[in-house]
Amino acid sequence: MASADHGAAAMPGAVPATRRKPLLPGGLLPFLLLLALAIALPLTGNEYWALIATRAAIYWVLVAGLNLIVGFAGQLAIGYVALLTLGAYTTSVLAAGNVLPEMPPFLALACAAAVGAVAGLVVGLPALRLRTFYFAMTTLGFATIVTQVALAWQEVTGGGIGISGPYFPAPFDNAWGFYYLCLGFAVIATLLAGNVGRSRFGRALIAIRDAEVAAEAAGISKPALLACVFLFAGAMAAVAGGLFAGLQTYITPEAFTFELSLLFFIAVLIGGRGSVLGPLLGTVLLTLLPEIAAPLAAWSTLLYAVMLLAIVLAVPGGIAALIDMGRRRRLPADRAILPRPAALGALLGQRPAAPPLRLRGIALHFGGLRAIDGLDLVLRPGEVHGLIGPNGSGKTTTLNVISGYYQPQQGSLALGEAPLAMGRPESRAGQGIARTFQTPRIIGEATVLQNVMIGGTVAGHATFAEAMLWLPRQAADEARLEADARLALQAVGLEALAGFRADRLQHSELRFVEIARALMLRPAYLLLDEPAAGLSAEEIRRLGQLIREISAHGTGVLLVEHHADLIFDICGHVTVLNLGRVLAEGRPAEVRAHKEVISAYLGA
Amino acid sequence: MLASILATGLAMGAVYALIGITYNTMFATSRVMSFTAGQLGMLGGVFGSLLMLRWGLPLVVALPLTLLAAALVGVVTEFVAVRPVLRSLEQHLYVLTTLAVALIIQQTTAIEWGTEPAPFPRLLGLGEGVWHEKYWLPVVACAITIGGLEYLYRRTLLGHAFIAVAEDNYAARALGLPERNLRIGSYALAGAIGALAGFAGGQLLLAFFANGPLLNFYGFIPVALGGLGNNRGAVIGGLALGLFQQAANFTVGGIFSSVAVFTLFIIVLLAAPQGLFGATASRRV
Amino acid sequence: MPISEPEAILSVQDLHAGYGRIRVLHGVELVVRTGEVVALLGPNGAGKTTLLSAISGLLPHEAGSIRFGGRDMAGAGPRETAAAGLVHVIEGHRVFTQVTVLDNLLLAGYGLPRAERNQYVEEALEFFPEIAAKRHERGGALSGGQQQMLAVAQGLVRRPKLLMLDEPSAGLSPVLVDRVLSVVAALRQRGVSVLLVEQLIEKALAVSDRVYALVQGKVALAAPTGTEGLARKLEAAYFGMEPAK
Repeated sequence: MASADHGAAAMPGAVPATRRKPLLPGGLLPFLLLLALAIALPLTGNEYWALIATRAAIYWVLVAGLNLIVGFAGQLAIGYVALLTLGAYTTSVLAAGNVLPEMPPFLALACAAAVGAVAGLVVGLPALRLRTFYFAMTTLGFATIVTQVALAWQEVTGGGIGISGPYFPAPFDNAWGFYYLCLGFAVIATLLAGNVGRSRFGRALIAIRDAEVAAEAAGISKPALLACVFLFAGAMAAVAGGLFAGLQTYITPEAFTFELSLLFFIAVLIGGRGSVLGPLLGTVLLTLLPEIAAPLAAWSTLLYAVMLLAIVLAVPGGIAALIDMGRRRRLPADRAILPRPAALGALLGQRPAAPPLRLRGIALHFGGLRAIDGLDLVLRPGEVHGLIGPNGSGKTTTLNVISGYYQPQQGSLALGEAPLAMGRPESRAGQGIARTFQTPRIIGEATVLQNVMIGGTVAGHATFAEAMLWLPRQAADEARLEADARLALQAVGLEALAGFRADRLQHSELRFVEIARALMLRPAYLLLDEPAAGLSAEEIRRLGQLIREISAHGTGVLLVEHHADLIFDICGHVTVLNLGRVLAEGRPAEVRAHKEVISAYLGA
Repeated sequence: MLASILATGLAMGAVYALIGITYNTMFATSRVMSFTAGQLGMLGGVFGSLLMLRWGLPLVVALPLTLLAAALVGVVTEFVAVRPVLRSLEQHLYVLTTLAVALIIQQTTAIEWGTEPAPFPRLLGLGEGVWHEKYWLPVVACAITIGGLEYLYRRTLLGHAFIAVAEDNYAARALGLPERNLRIGSYALAGAIGALAGFAGGQLLLAFFANGPLLNFYGFIPVALGGLGNNRGAVIGGLALGLFQQAANFTVGGIFSSVAVFTLFIIVLLAAPQGLFGATASRRV
Repeated sequence: MPISEPEAILSVQDLHAGYGRIRVLHGVELVVRTGEVVALLGPNGAGKTTLLSAISGLLPHEAGSIRFGGRDMAGAGPRETAAAGLVHVIEGHRVFTQVTVLDNLLLAGYGLPRAERNQYVEEALEFFPEIAAKRHERGGALSGGQQQMLAVAQGLVRRPKLLMLDEPSAGLSPVLVDRVLSVVAALRQRGVSVLLVEQLIEKALAVSDRVYALVQGKVALAAPTGTEGLARKLEAAYFGMEPAK
């Protein structure tokens, strides 16, 4: 739907100063400066510098892809040298004609990219099932294996003796020519990775890293997304490998040390997670460091290790945080959360009323503990439905069943006539069911605006490839998501904080950010899990008003709350749970006067 | 050939099992899988060679000194890499900090000790052929360690305190147990166990700075197979791994045996991510 | 001037605490006197568990003071508070399932000299003949009720001056609830103070001298249990308003 235009109409004079949109994360200027420096490098006339700079460019081609895995998605792939090795050998073997007829070097490089993409996927897929340390170990193991295979498969790889690298024809057959070739690849890598990073895919990756549960609720499919990234990073790494082989002119398995793998990995972390510029600077820095500082290879690895420790313990944000000027910008003093119903109208607009959401005979037990014991519940569009009850009565469990996190042993769940799949949280966003969490699941390192935009991830039309190339559909997606997110922030009253990192906000503000994120789905049903916890009395009053307004626009709200006064104040219908069953239900006044409810609450 | 497979397989398997126990010992009190486990094994070999060959100390002095020095390394790891990030376990920062410390250990060794494998002395001078001490010493060390740990965990209050902290850290703290000191203690213990693995297996592995990553990986497999924190599982997994690896070595050749081990490892991990005797995942929402 | 009365064993003043950014307690004031049983009531999420954790040092507090037995407990962790005789039995009968009942109790006396430890453990077991009979079984083999008794017994091993019990009745059958709460009465007779967090209000009131109601991180009501119309006042405190009719 066209929401970008009414976005502008709904906020006259309220356009924040931070509206200017950077072309690349962190702004374009530093990238252009670096590029200018790189282009001007031959003016030194020093071919030694050409070698170092070529190496840095090649490493960056790999790190640009790896950065999406490690820095964005938070998957600790420490053995990425394996893909460099694979790319180097594939290119060299194909160019030499050991297996197939001899290929021109660029065709061999393209083939290596394809092989690398597949290998990247295969090596990466365990990340979907394994915990961090396990995944790190499998990539480490893979790195060992690839080297050993290269040693063993003598007829193809030349074993320990090695094989000549591909010969790139003129004008790339001299030091500076080859340097410009690698620089070109580095620029392309920067553009592609940068585009992914600033697209909804990049945000989704960070969401998987820092707020996986919230990512699922926003409809982000982790397997599909990670698969795309693994393909991309694998291809980039293999291209880097092919170029690396070209630079070495002759490769042996010893050239691909585990130290190289660490350089890639640490470059990302030193650069800063979720940034493109930071890891680029990190790569350049780590490539230069041994040349300037350390005569011995052992010293340079020791230096990397010390830097890694220092970064993790002292500067978790890495270089990116150090150069991020906006980080210290002051938050507006004496700010308040002032929801604006008008923006809500612009965002939610007129929608056909959704059918009721029905739970029938839901029963769920964890081991021997019965959490829900035969529950029937109906949510209706445009109604605020309160769900209360003592501790352990099954309120949040019910909410988790509806939003697909728990799979009940019995019962059914349907939106109108259509049954909803149980235990599939990532499917709910597509059906217009949004939720918030008891503890706000927010990406602290992303801005408030980016956090809210994550809520609209499923609304994007552009594919991963389109995002990578920033084609028109991607640009349209991005503009619409941003306009919607600003509207949602206005609706909850936080538009003044759009450009600030979310981890600088107060707890109560994060609760409203979560509601804004949920509103991005234009939800038919909104499930709120204790939204008033930790809020001041005045904030609770505003929250109540906001919830009422949301329901007035046709959204059905399920409100799980401990604050009985809020429930009785704003709900149209209240269900009281006790021990996983419905104890009472009806209009607030009826429920409030119900004797059993009082005694259940007071525990008599 | 069979005898040779058995001797080498059990010896290497015992070393892997001990490294697995090193992982487990650190994990129990801190929920941290530390990359330093393999480096501790490497240090066992290097310290042993340093003390006995370079400095000429007798075994009865060199072994305690080696274990003590490695225990100290363990304690330093706790202070530098574990304690500062315990609060942010969500972000798995410990993977990075322990990796950094492991590398620092490895590279410091490379600089101070050298990058060539150095010989490791015969310890007792007993046995020849497949009964050479280098084959059975690791097995004996593994048996002694398991026996000692069983005694500690079953019979002593200190051992019970370790179990308590491992099972429910919060309840242990509420009860007034010195959780922090227990954690430091477990890192010291892990340091000694890891070094014992490298010391007992020194004649097979030599004193070589680059042994760490290899031991890290092959010592982790028994843990992954047996389930985190399960020492008996680690011993069974370690010995099985050692035998499988040596059998593959002799039948299909050394290089492809690593490929076989790796493939098997991935398959088992994907099929049973919690290990073959593992625990269930916790609630997320 | 000392606000705490001489017989106050625990006095909490203007206590603020929370988890990270989430503030849970907003200036709690509370006093427990020697030999007194105080019930701490309140709806879900009011901050009762947080309050106990802050008092026992499991959770560092941000502002305010906690004095126990005349000592300022600022910066004291659970080890120090337990050693001082302020013992917190956390909710959910979290005993150690892999070691025996006896070892569970010995662990509660960790750091005490062996002879004393054994003696105190036996004393604690005297309160609970049910679990004394199972002293060599693993904690995990006990029923929920027995685990709760074991948890309370663990709390007694330190010979507390003040015992804080967090929802000892949760998940227990009514008979077992009475059994566990009978120990509270027995402790009171021996001059031990008890701070009791309970969902079962009537049962809690039956064994208590005074009651505090904690609502949204503040004390909404403090009264002796004999107060006229206490139930109505509690209801009003819980729901934040009078009934609609």
